[in-house]
Amino acid sequence: MADTKQIDQIESPGPSRNRRIADAIKRNRARATVLGVLAVLFLAAMAGIEADQWFGTIMKALAAGSVIFLVASGFQLIFGLMDVLNLAHGELFMLGAYVGWTVYTRFDTFLDVLVPMLLVAAPFALLPLWRRLGARVAALARWARSAAWGLIVLGGGLMLLSITKFPLVIWNAEDFAKTPANYSVQIDLGTLVPLPEDVFGWPMAVAIVVLLAGASALALGLSSLRKHAGAVPPLGRWNLIGAAGLIVASVALHLVRGPLNDWVFGMSTTWRFFIALIVASLLGAGLGALIEVVLIRPLYDRPIYTLMVTLGVGFVIIETVKELWGSSNFTMARPAAFNGSGEGCPAEGIGGFFSGCSTLVVFGSRLRVYNEGFVVVIGILVLIGVSLLLKRTRIGMTIRAGVQDPEMVEALGINVRRVFTMVFALGAGLAAFGGVLAAPSIGLYTEMGALFLLTAIVALAIGGLTSFPGVAAGALLIGLLQQIIIRFGQTGIHIPFVAEPFKPSPTLVPAASIILMIVILLVLPAGLFGRGER
Amino acid sequence: MSLLDLHDVHTFIGKFHILEGVSVEVPQGSVVALLGRNGAGKTTTLKTILGLTPASSGRVVFDGDDIVEMRSFDIAAMGIGYVPEHRAIFADLSVEENLRIAERRKGDLERREELIFGLFPDLKRLIGLPGTSLSGGQQQMLAVARALVPENRLLLIDEPSEGLAPVLIEQMIEAIARLSDTTTVLLVEQNFLVASRLGTTYVIIEEGRSVKTGDMTDLVDDDETIQRYLGV
Amino acid sequence: MLTAERGPRALWRRRRGVVYMALALLMFPFVISLLVDGQGIASVWNNDLGNARFLQGLAIEVFILGLFAISYDLLLGVAGIISFGHAMFFAVGAYGFGIMLKSFELHWVIALLLVGVLAVLQALLFAILLPRVKGLTFALVTLGIAAVFWIVISSSDLAQWAGAEIGLQGVETPVWFLDTTNHRFVFYLLVAAIMLGVYVLYTKIADSPMGRVLVSVRENEDRSLMLGYNTFWFKTAALIVSSLTAALAGVLHTMHQPIVTPNVAGLTFAITVLLMVLIGGAGTISGALVGAAVYRLLNFYLDKWFGGASGLLVGLVFVLLVLYLPYGIVGTWRVKKAGIKEGRARLRRMFERALSRS
Repeated sequence: MADTKQIDQIESPGPSRNRRIADAIKRNRARATVLGVLAVLFLAAMAGIEADQWFGTIMKALAAGSVIFLVASGFQLIFGLMDVLNLAHGELFMLGAYVGWTVYTRFDTFLDVLVPMLLVAAPFALLPLWRRLGARVAALARWARSAAWGLIVLGGGLMLLSITKFPLVIWNAEDFAKTPANYSVQIDLGTLVPLPEDVFGWPMAVAIVVLLAGASALALGLSSLRKHAGAVPPLGRWNLIGAAGLIVASVALHLVRGPLNDWVFGMSTTWRFFIALIVASLLGAGLGALIEVVLIRPLYDRPIYTLMVTLGVGFVIIETVKELWGSSNFTMARPAAFNGSGEGCPAEGIGGFFSGCSTLVVFGSRLRVYNEGFVVVIGILVLIGVSLLLKRTRIGMTIRAGVQDPEMVEALGINVRRVFTMVFALGAGLAAFGGVLAAPSIGLYTEMGALFLLTAIVALAIGGLTSFPGVAAGALLIGLLQQIIIRFGQTGIHIPFVAEPFKPSPTLVPAASIILMIVILLVLPAGLFGRGER
Repeated sequence: MSLLDLHDVHTFIGKFHILEGVSVEVPQGSVVALLGRNGAGKTTTLKTILGLTPASSGRVVFDGDDIVEMRSFDIAAMGIGYVPEHRAIFADLSVEENLRIAERRKGDLERREELIFGLFPDLKRLIGLPGTSLSGGQQQMLAVARALVPENRLLLIDEPSEGLAPVLIEQMIEAIARLSDTTTVLLVEQNFLVASRLGTTYVIIEEGRSVKTGDMTDLVDDDETIQRYLGV
Repeated sequence: MLTAERGPRALWRRRRGVVYMALALLMFPFVISLLVDGQGIASVWNNDLGNARFLQGLAIEVFILGLFAISYDLLLGVAGIISFGHAMFFAVGAYGFGIMLKSFELHWVIALLLVGVLAVLQALLFAILLPRVKGLTFALVTLGIAAVFWIVISSSDLAQWAGAEIGLQGVETPVWFLDTTNHRFVFYLLVAAIMLGVYVLYTKIADSPMGRVLVSVRENEDRSLMLGYNTFWFKTAALIVSSLTAALAGVLHTMHQPIVTPNVAGLTFAITVLLMVLIGGAGTISGALVGAAVYRLLNFYLDKWFGGASGLLVGLVFVLLVLYLPYGIVGTWRVKKAGIKEGRARLRRMFERALSRS
């Protein structure tokens, strides 16, 4: 092989490289102009704000941007890989907040719900068994489909019947003394007392066995509905250990729930907050995976229908939340580490946090440690974490490749479907995580999902639908715009030749970000950092 | 025993009956060239083997197992490498990541480094560049190299010489010839001169059917067959 | 359907469905009055209370939603333009007509003409965007414009005209045949006639050269451009027709409802219209009417029977409809008739193209 020849082929001659640079400049001219105009506008706005408010305004913008980013990032991951606009994303955010609130404020309820949930999950750990049996049912006769549906209905019925017999310490949305709103007030005052224990409606063993039977019937019914089975993995030791482990764990949890509750209610709210974050994220991820497998997967080639299905899921989540938690708004107390007050508060400088203050004065601005500190830090950590995941790990590499050509990735021996499910779970988990994180600063209400999803979509469109860092930029831009307008709403803008200063009203805040989106999309249809053709 | 055996395979894409009975036998250690005119069903045959366009009937036996019902990624993981027609280099990945993603076990790339960079020394210099900045010839080398990262027992190579300058075609022939010493290859090639230099046996496909098969050495002298099935 | 066929007999064959429908709608209040209320035919004329009157009101709502849905189907199903700002088209008619009557005390004919002018203007605004942003970006931009409109209309600054978050109320009925309270049967007939008339017009458009160009634009815009069609003008024409129809639906809504809430400009309403078209079957024209009827009646009766849990059921029903009736009611019926695979491929191509990022 002649080496000199190869080098001739590969070294690109000078002119073409120059032309490439010229092309790049030409391509990015519009983008550079937009960024320049935005920077000038930003400086002009900052010039209109007193210097001692600068830091506060920027931190508040970062805080608003962080929450928007947590919603938008998962949404973008799902859209980027699968072209699915997950309209239930805002509702997953909302559900995360409600679940997080429950774990945080009413751990006893969470524990009571966890017991039957683990029992329901146990038979699903034996999936290879059900698929084998299901294939046999399907081969049996013409009425196999009806038999499968019959099993599903039977299983669902048995589960409903037995779940109502499980002890469940839950609030009563009708009676104010026992509503979530009241518990929020109580935990704020530090007077929350767990409700008295409930007892099984049936003998415990009967309830457990009936629930297990119902879940097994459901699993078998679902397995026999699958048309194309493919190779069924053998029933391994781990399946049995998993199922047995789940059953044992749930019974054990039920038996020790008294002491466990006392212990958890005795620990610092900071720890409980972290438990809430983890539980809600895991639940969000699980729900996301379930939605992807059951509803999105059959619809990949019909994009607009996935839109409608996710919308329907959103409706269902909203109604379920209204049913379980009631439709009134309530709050979530900040964890103890961020709720200090007393002598010497608000303290000067960041060091004040360590002397136990929840509010600090930094560079002349009054900031709350949780809202403008913790939330921002976590937002940045998530940005770095997900970026690293995408850039540095094998799964991130697979995601980036799958965005472009899922078929080729599959031809390399990688299960792309599983990657899709994982990304959906990751996105949904991020949304739920964001919900818990935002709850102490914005409170809980059923419309919060739709509201934040709309803002997130606007941020996404500004940053570029196809770019993950673009999401962060878009979210930050929206945060800045909102804060600057709120700031000018207080002082007013002096327009030349007009005597009265113009004071933007609060309703203008969302309108301004939308107008920004429209202008940017008209100049750059792919957003600030998005790629055009793909 | 043959490594791969297709027997009377039928494939539909949508409602179009693309393969109407393809039988191909790929003996261990051979290079089988699939020949035929444009649209005869050569590429679909490769995709059917991988399950990307699943066969509706017929048998595809790889190493003794019928793989028709299996999912694509499971088939590929049995040891089949694929170099698709338009290279399908991942634009968002660097050259190294394009190779890395084909790993089935950690460290595959390091284990096969010598082989890959021995065949394509240029890739070593380009390793940090993004996939799209490569020229057509470099992308083709990368696509072949990617199929070599795991220890595949069979390579499906689709049109390796398409759109390449003569010098690069020569290089590509050399590379494939060298790797066919150790690996079985099923090759789709429009350029008969290339196919005749690489192939040990040939299968001619016409209108979705395998119509003729034999030793490549016999075909080279058989002007009538060449004219009838491959002539323009 | 062959347009070449002429003469009264062919016309009858083409239009008999509409005639049957018109007769059925005419009979409907009398039948209800006789069978359900057990009252005479005269009670319909006398505007008595009862099921007949109530069901006429519900039917009027269905007709208005049908008009709105059909106007969206022209964009989505025929021209392949995905707009999420369609609620604004409706709200401009509803608020525009109401405010002109109430605050400016214009004659209703002049108000109607001005609403028409507004409708054309906003269609032109959307048309200006068309060549600049395509596919999903167009959907997002239109969503944004409609959201700004919603924010403005529900803001307290315009409270004296639009009534802020409560909505526009106290619009006097300008003329007797637009009076849904005292002459419900007349109003019912009027709205039904308008709906059927618009339906006939739309099927004519879909079947005309313009409709065929629009479909070819939907399938492959570049090819249509090469064939020498100025696709921009065809799309603009579709937008104007659609906007006028939606505004008319809005005007009738203002006349029928005692109060016009900002919800008619909201995102939910924009999605509702998409849902109605998808339930009926995109691109089928008549499907939009079926979808509107199914949507409104399902919503109403689920709410009546299940009360609080209805939202949950509505969500579930829509998920199931999408999963098991993928081409809508009319769409699936036609597809079954013509051969499932062809229709499936056509619809899939259509949506892929319309939603593909540009």
